Amino acid sequence: MYSYSIRTLDELKEFLYQAMRLEHATIPPYLTALYSIKPGVNQDATQVLRVIVVEEMLHLTIAANILNAIGGTPDLTRPDFAVDYPASLPDGETDFKVGIQAFGREALATFLKIERPAQRPIHLVGKGLIHRKTSPHTTALGNDPRHEDLHFYSIGEFYSTIAEGIKYLEAEAHRVGTTIFTGDRSRQITSEYYYSGGGELFAVTDLKSALEAIELIIEQGEGDGGGIYDDNEHELAHYYRFDELVKGRYYQKGDQPGHPTGPQLQVDWEGAYPIKANLKVVDIDIKEGSELREAATAFNKRYGEFLQLLTRAYNGQPSLLLEAVPIMFEFRNMIFELVRNPLPNHPGKNGSPTYEIPGSTKQAAITRQAEVSA
Amino acid sequence: MSSSRFEAFLGLSIELTAFSRFDLLGTGLAERYLATLDKVVGGEITDALLAAFIALPPPEDVARIQAVRTTILGHELLGDVTRALIKLWYSGTWFELPSAWTERFGRRAADATFVVSPDAYIEGLLWKAIGAHPAGAKAPGFGSWAFPPKIPALPDLDSKT
Repeated sequence: MYSYSIRTLDELKEFLYQAMRLEHATIPPYLTALYSIKPGVNQDATQVLRVIVVEEMLHLTIAANILNAIGGTPDLTRPDFAVDYPASLPDGETDFKVGIQAFGREALATFLKIERPAQRPIHLVGKGLIHRKTSPHTTALGNDPRHEDLHFYSIGEFYSTIAEGIKYLEAEAHRVGTTIFTGDRSRQITSEYYYSGGGELFAVTDLKSALEAIELIIEQGEGDGGGIYDDNEHELAHYYRFDELVKGRYYQKGDQPGHPTGPQLQVDWEGAYPIKANLKVVDIDIKEGSELREAATAFNKRYGEFLQLLTRAYNGQPSLLLEAVPIMFEFRNMIFELVRNPLPNHPGKNGSPTYEIPGSTKQAAITRQAEVSA
Repeated sequence: MSSSRFEAFLGLSIELTAFSRFDLLGTGLAERYLATLDKVVGGEITDALLAAFIALPPPEDVARIQAVRTTILGHELLGDVTRALIKLWYSGTWFELPSAWTERFGRRAADATFVVSPDAYIEGLLWKAIGAHPAGAKAPGFGSWAFPPKIPALPDLDSKT
């Protein structure tokens, strides 16, 4: 049977790059859903999405810290870093598409799948990775970077494999009197650089802190060992926060998963601008929608600059993260304008950010095609 | 609400505010403001204003700016209403019409100074025009005061002056 264990430092670095890519891939869907909500409604949903998107940014930074700790180079400008939506994420034996869409029942169903607890059903325990062919036009996340058709059962399982790899490689290094944690300490991002954190951001310098970092990512997403809270009974996991919105009721201490018994909450399922899902800039009429198209392009350019800034911040200039904060608030204002503008030739549908980053996969594919036909 | 009536309102607003169609729709308040105009001064005066806008010479015509001044802003009935509409777009507040207008055309029941909605205050064009954020809303983020404000470029007015 194919061993999906991580056996070399280079493999571990690639897994951690994929982890950053995976964490980042959840941000555009959450961010768009958050800012698609109309003013004055859905305050509970707004609060939940805001908290979760901030925590996903924290996870991205934690993954960068782990990669830096083992001497890797986080690069958010690699052509495949930003995914083409809808992208495919693991959902047990099948997969599902995560895309850019307005807040609503459909978006929430997707978000629940993203944060779904990792537990395999009994008949699949110990069965290895799930073999599944991904369409060549779809970006797959949560797969083995060495074999793109081999998928982990869940995001949690993907991270467990990373944790096992770190333990194995560090034990191997110890045997010869060295360590894999050779990264420059000054590249670590800590809470002082990370405003309004969504959790504590600590330096990763050894096996203990690396494993703690991975635990934090898993628990914030899906809860601790099947429970609804993270390990300190302190914070409700993302999955159960979304579940509260679907069920219209808050969880409280002592509740069983799937059965919230706290106060009721109101969700206005119509309280979002009707954006066209997974819009691409080319779908915006060049004449009728020229201003919208220009704004969508400007957003993508700015988002690309943001990823460049993060790359520099994660490569030895942590204080640049403070400059990233106002850019994120700029995104909010830009997205508000995009989602309130009608999309020409699509009656009843509005514009949306497209997250097509200049220089990313899609553009690369077009270039390749041009080279072939030349 | 007929869509051509809304289109005329949007066209008029673009001309009066010097902001683009995208910017105005981006506030999410265009329909609300047309409804405000209808509510405060009534459908008849609103229609008269929209008709005056539609009757203007075409945009490329040098006579257009002059006509905006004489048939809209300088018009006894429409001028003050138009100025209130400009202030509405910029501040999110409907400002009560001047007493001279009220004495001449009669007081309207809904004509008082009021903020249209919480988001109308937030989306006031004045904030965008000066590169600032509304006090208490749309915060620009921690530490942002260390960076220069972003003031949008002035629209190209050369062809119209």
